[in-house]
Amino acid sequence: MNADDWLRTLTAELHQRRVAADAARHVVAEAATHLREGGGDPWVVFGPPLQYAGAVVESIGTAPGPRPGPVRLHAAGITKRYGRRTVLRDATLTVRAGQIAAVVGANGCGKSTFLRICAGLMSPDAGEVTVSGRLGYCPQSGGTADFLLADEHFVLVGAGQGVARGPARRAGRAAARQLGWEAGGDVQARHLSGGTRQKLNLTMSTLSAPDVLLLDEPYQGFDQGTYVNFWDQLSRLRDAGTAIVVVTHLLNQLDRVDIVLDLTPAHETGWHAPGIQGGRP
Amino acid sequence: MNRLVTVAEMTLRELLRRRGVLLLLLLMPLTFYLIRRDAYLGQSVRSLLLGVGWAVSTAALFATTAARELEPRLRLAGYRPHHLYLGRMLGLWTVGLVISVPFFLLPMIDGADLRYGGLAAALLCSVAVAAPFGMLIGALLPRELEGTLLLLTVVTVQMLIEPAGSGARLTPFWSSREIATWTVDNTDQGYLSRGLLHGLVVTALLALGVAAVASVRLRRRRHLRHLPVG
Repeated sequence: MNADDWLRTLTAELHQRRVAADAARHVVAEAATHLREGGGDPWVVFGPPLQYAGAVVESIGTAPGPRPGPVRLHAAGITKRYGRRTVLRDATLTVRAGQIAAVVGANGCGKSTFLRICAGLMSPDAGEVTVSGRLGYCPQSGGTADFLLADEHFVLVGAGQGVARGPARRAGRAAARQLGWEAGGDVQARHLSGGTRQKLNLTMSTLSAPDVLLLDEPYQGFDQGTYVNFWDQLSRLRDAGTAIVVVTHLLNQLDRVDIVLDLTPAHETGWHAPGIQGGRP
Repeated sequence: MNRLVTVAEMTLRELLRRRGVLLLLLLMPLTFYLIRRDAYLGQSVRSLLLGVGWAVSTAALFATTAARELEPRLRLAGYRPHHLYLGRMLGLWTVGLVISVPFFLLPMIDGADLRYGGLAAALLCSVAVAAPFGMLIGALLPRELEGTLLLLTVVTVQMLIEPAGSGARLTPFWSSREIATWTVDNTDQGYLSRGLLHGLVVTALLALGVAAVASVRLRRRRHLRHLPVG
């Protein structure tokens, strides 16, 4: 990572951590000047950008985030059994406009099942889900057509909302650019790398401007830069009032979310995430 | 209408990019025709029609299986189930019609003396039945291997069953066989009418079957309540 990359990562991280825009600009400009005049590797001078951003936040604080809006997703008492095995028991989650919720838990604890139930792709054995507004869903894998180009995926999703081809293509390319991907090539989806394909997957889910966005570990195959862009984009969507639910197993991201739903059975771990909302009793 | 056309167009694009599949789609009926060419012409034409039917069914099966993961998210993006299955069917019918053209011309070039109007009707019936037939198998059996084996079984039964027996009428491609008899053997009009009626009824029943399965699979679940943005 060169100095420019380091500064870019720092900028994204400060934005992500809701440092006031003016203050963030000032910090980045100061770091850039220091590097230009003094030289040296930013990793040696300042340390890792995420760590440096953390120090900045501790020192100058953050700007208050927008107040959460009305409830967009309310899942209550969700129970799901596969045969005799109960995968979800009475899981409850409420997410408001402008909030990010993380669904965490051990492998096989029902994170994806919970999300599919919230998306209405699977029926629970008990419980109900109320969604206000439009729903977007990004599956863990699949969900794209092997022999179609990225632009054709955008046209296909756009037509569902009655969006004309040109605007759908432009909107898709713009959303892909937010993830650092120039989508307008003539490469079929099957020839995209795993990470790029996942960017296409994610772009498709945000294309219909959903009020509630459900993401099932959407960052698989992402490199570090894309991963930063991903969280940056989630912050932007949150600030624009989208209610977001992310299934994740990466606990180091939990400080970036507003709500955590831990679906790990209580007898398996004594750990409880901050802001825990529901899950198994 | 735009949604329907978009799904049809994307189905068409996907299939046209599968060059290997396209080649096999063309090769299969050709082989069926050539393998019976030295024998009686009627058998050769019937095999050709069965080959077209099988080729289009297989394409429909694979297109349906490939779209399985994509369709739920398109449903969330604003499509209704009928946009998805009818759009796909339209795309497959178009592909079927395109690949039928060389097989309409093949006996002509080969100098076969037959009723070419009948051949066109039989090809239409084959394609009309094959698209929803392959789609229904793809919708009921999620794995391609199982679907292909079932398709193979049905086509084998179709080939081996005694055409005059009552059981033959239960096979999906009986219509094109009946019309082929009228086409090649100059039989009475009854063969043509029976064939056309059978083709129409079977196509309608299969399309209804596809609609039923898709409507169940892509239904709005009862536990999910949608409220307008307040």
